[in-house]
Amino acid sequence: MINEIFDISQIEFNSDVKTKDEALQFIASFAEEASVVKSAKAYYKGLKKREKEVTTGFKDGIAIPHCKNKTVKKPALFLMKFDQPIEWESMDDKPVHIAFALAIPEGKNDDHLRALSTISRALIDENFVNDILNASSKEQMYQLIKEKLSN
Amino acid sequence: MSQKKIVGVTACSAGIAHTYMAAESLEKAAEEKGYQVKIETQGSIGVENGLTDQEIEEADVVILAVEINIDMSRFNGKRVMRVRASEAIKNSNEVIENALNDATVYGEKGAKAGVAKMGNTKEGGFFQHIMAGISYMIPMVIASGLILAIANVYAFQRDEAGRIIEWGFDTSTAMGGLMSNLFEVGQVGFLLMIPLFAGFVANSIAGKPAIAAAMIGTYIANDAELLGGEAGGGFLAAILVAFAAGYLVNLLKKIPYPKLIQPIVPIMLIPFVSTLIITLLVFYGIGNPMASMMDFLYEGLTTLNENYAAAPVIVGVIIGAMVGFDLGGPLNKTALVFGTAVFTDTVAKYGIEGANFVPQTATQAAISVAPLGIWLASILFKNKFSPTEKVSANSAFGMGIVGVTEGAIPFGAQDPIRMIPAFVAGSAVAGGLAAGLGIKFYGGIGSPLGTFVGYIEQPIPFITWIFSVLMGVLVTALIIGFTKKKVE
Repeated sequence: MINEIFDISQIEFNSDVKTKDEALQFIASFAEEASVVKSAKAYYKGLKKREKEVTTGFKDGIAIPHCKNKTVKKPALFLMKFDQPIEWESMDDKPVHIAFALAIPEGKNDDHLRALSTISRALIDENFVNDILNASSKEQMYQLIKEKLSN
Repeated sequence: MSQKKIVGVTACSAGIAHTYMAAESLEKAAEEKGYQVKIETQGSIGVENGLTDQEIEEADVVILAVEINIDMSRFNGKRVMRVRASEAIKNSNEVIENALNDATVYGEKGAKAGVAKMGNTKEGGFFQHIMAGISYMIPMVIASGLILAIANVYAFQRDEAGRIIEWGFDTSTAMGGLMSNLFEVGQVGFLLMIPLFAGFVANSIAGKPAIAAAMIGTYIANDAELLGGEAGGGFLAAILVAFAAGYLVNLLKKIPYPKLIQPIVPIMLIPFVSTLIITLLVFYGIGNPMASMMDFLYEGLTTLNENYAAAPVIVGVIIGAMVGFDLGGPLNKTALVFGTAVFTDTVAKYGIEGANFVPQTATQAAISVAPLGIWLASILFKNKFSPTEKVSANSAFGMGIVGVTEGAIPFGAQDPIRMIPAFVAGSAVAGGLAAGLGIKFYGGIGSPLGTFVGYIEQPIPFITWIFSVLMGVLVTALIIGFTKKKVE
């Protein structure tokens, strides 16, 4: 199950991105390359629109940009770690370092969506968040998320 | 002291992130405080961890961390605290404490705005049945209303100056014949819609076995010739017959029938007996008195309209105010029913020239005022609307522009003291203007677009209608703008 929405190739470390807008663009083109969305542009627009409604900046340097859009081919999670702090209007005003980006297709695919909702819930777990923030390798991050999703 | 019980619902527009973060956050905070907690999530997956009526009943408080409209009727009479989903994620502890201390009872007096949605009124209530009937009738009203309106345009024969000199169809021409037929089509629709309405009201009360008695009974009650009287009983008779049929059938269901005949009870026995009883009751009992009463009522209303210049304005203002007051609640529905009833009945009785358009026109003019007023206020007074409220205001626009008053409910429910007067004032202005300016609403959607999507007769084409509605919208927007507090 988890392999269908997330694998280690969907974790990316980035050192160029400086702004929220660049981050969203980066996520969108990454998603297109991973064949999760048909059009990076449409997905980017969807992400922007969702941010406009309400910021997805969470606390402790985490953001959860996401949108439901018909350009999304299958539900997926991307994990982005940004070297540079990114201003994201987050709840505690701290800049963001890690983005859990969710791609949600229109229509229903309950099992996959349920897995994505588990990730949303996981962010409330401080231990999980701390482990993710302290993880230094993709492999470590992957294991953490895998563990959380298989619970 | 017993353990505190908290229930809640979370929902957001994408339905995948905030919904679940808010739920998790509330659950965690409540558990840490030692409270019993259950949070229902309404996300992309659908409803999960759904609250039962019993759980809602037993809860000390209901927390709604929702950014979209959800069905509120379940929470009638409960203490409810509504917050933004992001607020529940960020400050779940505070949200829970505030809810326990400050939540107000939902559905009390002024807070009533959000209670009733189309067909969603209190289980088994009078209006629920009426609205069920209306919702089945509306497509027929619109279809036949529009066809009637098209034919009617053709029926007005004008002189060279464009004044209407005569009304009628010249059936010697092909076009005249066609239009005359279309007019008949519309009239058949208007004739059928009343029994149809009664049938579905009865269906809502007692299910399929009640449909026959209600439809046949209403048809007779509405047919002057069959009754041997002057006029039919119209809507009032339809409501009475439908309820009589519905409750009679409910009674008949209670009889303990022998096992042998039980299978034929709902499809044969009850429809047969109830139809017999109801139709005879109409013939020998209520038919004629109802018909004379309706006749008296409509004649009175028409005389009033014709003889007193101010009458349409007053009726329009009252109807408009009713529409704006509870946004789809009982008063709003009463206005809607009244408007439709007066129009269809007077068309059936006096023909299209003699029809009384006032209540229907006022209702339709007022319908979109509250949601559009909210939207306009959010544009004119940006600093008084939070980002979430702006989103709601935009969705209110979407609903308002197609004539759905309920788009204003989130605001009415949240801040009834400021919002309801603004809605009422604006809606009354629109209703009064539309009625006072002599607009005739035949059919279409109740919004400024109605003049394009529908048929509305008015002194200055398009302009009068749009002007009436927009004045109402403006009044609502300005009152909201001046009374609403700034967002810090």
